[in-house]
Amino acid sequence: MAAEPFDVIVVGSGAAGGTAAHALTGAGARVCLLEAGRSYDPGRETPMFQRTAAAPLRDAGTPDKPFGFYDATVDGGWELPEEPFATAPGTEFRWFRARMLGGRTNHWGRVALRYANHDFKAYSRDGLGADWPFTYDEFAPWYDRAERLVGVFGSNPGLPDQPDSPPGCLQPPPVPRSHELLIMAGGRRLGRPVVPSHTAVITQPIDGRLACFYATPCLRGCSIRANFQSTTVLLPPARATGRLTTLTHAQAYEIEMAPDGRARGVHYLDRLTHRHHFIPGRAVMLGASAMESVRLLLNSRSTQFPDGIGADSGLLGRGVMDSTGSNVWGQFPQMENLPPFNDDGVWLPHVYIPWWAWPEQRAGRLPFTRGYHLELYGGRLEPSADTFDFLDDVSPLTYGRRLKEEAQRYYGSFVRLSQRGEMIAREHNRVQIDPVLRDQWGIPSLRFDVRFSDQELRQTAHAQQSMAEFIEAAGGKLVTPLPRNPAEAILPPGRIIHEVGGARTGVDPARSVTDPFGRVWGVPNLYVIDGAVFPSSAHKNPTLTIVAFASRASEHLRKALRHA
Amino acid sequence: MPDRRETLSWLLRALALSAAPIAGTERAGARILRPGAGGAPGAEGYGRDPSLLHPHIPWPSILTPPQKGAVARLADVFLPEHGASPAASALGVPDFVDEWVSAPYPQQQRDRIVVLQGLTDLERDAGAPIGELDARQAEDLVARLHARAAAGAAPEGRFFRRFRQICLIGYYTTPAGVAQLGYVGYQPSARFAGPPPQVLAKLGIEPGG
Repeated sequence: MAAEPFDVIVVGSGAAGGTAAHALTGAGARVCLLEAGRSYDPGRETPMFQRTAAAPLRDAGTPDKPFGFYDATVDGGWELPEEPFATAPGTEFRWFRARMLGGRTNHWGRVALRYANHDFKAYSRDGLGADWPFTYDEFAPWYDRAERLVGVFGSNPGLPDQPDSPPGCLQPPPVPRSHELLIMAGGRRLGRPVVPSHTAVITQPIDGRLACFYATPCLRGCSIRANFQSTTVLLPPARATGRLTTLTHAQAYEIEMAPDGRARGVHYLDRLTHRHHFIPGRAVMLGASAMESVRLLLNSRSTQFPDGIGADSGLLGRGVMDSTGSNVWGQFPQMENLPPFNDDGVWLPHVYIPWWAWPEQRAGRLPFTRGYHLELYGGRLEPSADTFDFLDDVSPLTYGRRLKEEAQRYYGSFVRLSQRGEMIAREHNRVQIDPVLRDQWGIPSLRFDVRFSDQELRQTAHAQQSMAEFIEAAGGKLVTPLPRNPAEAILPPGRIIHEVGGARTGVDPARSVTDPFGRVWGVPNLYVIDGAVFPSSAHKNPTLTIVAFASRASEHLRKALRHA
Repeated sequence: MPDRRETLSWLLRALALSAAPIAGTERAGARILRPGAGGAPGAEGYGRDPSLLHPHIPWPSILTPPQKGAVARLADVFLPEHGASPAASALGVPDFVDEWVSAPYPQQQRDRIVVLQGLTDLERDAGAPIGELDARQAEDLVARLHARAAAGAAPEGRFFRRFRQICLIGYYTTPAGVAQLGYVGYQPSARFAGPPPQVLAKLGIEPGG
């Protein structure tokens, strides 16, 4: 293997690594993809039509399978005992990992929103965090490309916080479902928009992929390739070029530097044989997931970089973010005892509530400077272990015939609204290498020190209030009263699985870790292409921006390889 | 990304009940059943990478035949036969309760303690094995349990809520239970039409609105 002359070693096979492998093999480069987890074939492994009744514990989430037995994530979870991490005293961080080909693209919410120019330049507005090194207009062509590659349905309602896509980028959105129509009606009463979500599910066939057939839960994965997974959309065409070599169970742990200041290649450990290997390449791209890419840089110490590659600015590991998240549940009497009808749709939300108060926020009239959007989940989904989570709230201590009536009455009448908001990048929110903790292969582990600030708490208080207003305006009732303190509502950092930052991109080597194309300052053939580069993280779920950035970085590298 | 309610509620419950006797298993994952937790020694979960197409439950059942008989009797009071709607025991709910309380996961281990303690307390109240009570005696027993739970007795309330919840999951995820709720799905189609007119009318929404 080591004898093979690879142009590019890509670490990680998810949104970032998959995009790079797709782009670079397509452009003629020979790529070696290192994936720490096992191989995974959605065509053979996805439990599309398996029913809840056949699953252990009826598909309830467990520490082994946190999002349910049938969830697409295999060999992952919140706690991997053989791969521990530490948290600073008094802090909490949750870190979801998926050790499998395609990484976390196999299970994700598939919300795919473009950042607006004010998202890229938030620091210039409020002085918090850092700006991205490009404008929306400069980055927009990469969003166009990403949307066409990924396959995204959505609409262009011309909202200030949601840039319109050019023609030919978005696919038609599905019509709203029953609970979504109710929330839309509530939005009209409040004068707030509820519009088609931008979601990485195709409603028309493209690139040999079938369109969504409006059945089966998306989060199990999609063997017909209607939703976006690296393993269904990016890796098969990369493989078809004959220029992709994929090494699974390959845990990268160090980037080796050459005396000339370039990266020579990657050291990895075969998780099955426990043997160490080195693989050289003309260039190296890190898409191991934000925190794993940062860990790899921090663990790559040499005479040139005694504190890790890219640590010269002192910013490596700093500016870690997640999205803020909180929930409010509503119960809708109009939805009780509805006649049976098919409410599956694309399974993921068809509509969402964009950040409507941006103009007000820009004018400085809100007590927090970054926005949020609301996602809504509900409907007559397949009965599952969580269908009756709220029966104790709405029908406590009923039993017998009455309980059966109540179960039928309340089934499908709950809607969850979820806040997804921007967390501000702060340099004290960081990861470091823990002085003692190592994983089971002896690789030094991360230690997280991440806290929310008053900004996130004030935003959450506003979001909680807004969610209650939506529920009530739509004719629903809150299942439980809002907590008095937003600190009780906000989910812990990491919980939304949007963790990004730690190797931010910028224009000034003293104030960033990578250049605007993701190249680590001072190492011209080493790119960071995943969420680690985010200088700020808008409330908009990061995957589409990761795909667009990785695609842009790959194009930059393609040109560099050709010129070399 | 969307998270599923069950996960959130699992987390909330894990936090809320972290002082329970078997707390600590969350961090260690599900492989290790702590000694004294009351389950089958060394029971393992299905692991992080089970076959999703051919599900298999690796942990042994822990309920004894009398306990299982008691569960069946009580489950049929919580979810009785009524017209065409079968009783809980006819849909395998007792087996599911056994599967649930036998599982080596934190939520299920907490439920195991609640359920086994509740069965013990109820049997003391009944003065006889619960599985041997007739239907009327079982209903009276649950009525007394309900009264104590409604009066705010904590152990009775806890047992009532958790036992009811496990029975609901076991009942309404079966094909017969799914049909009673009126779930319609898993039907691939080229188009998604949205809710039918009679549903829109009930929701007070104009078609196309």
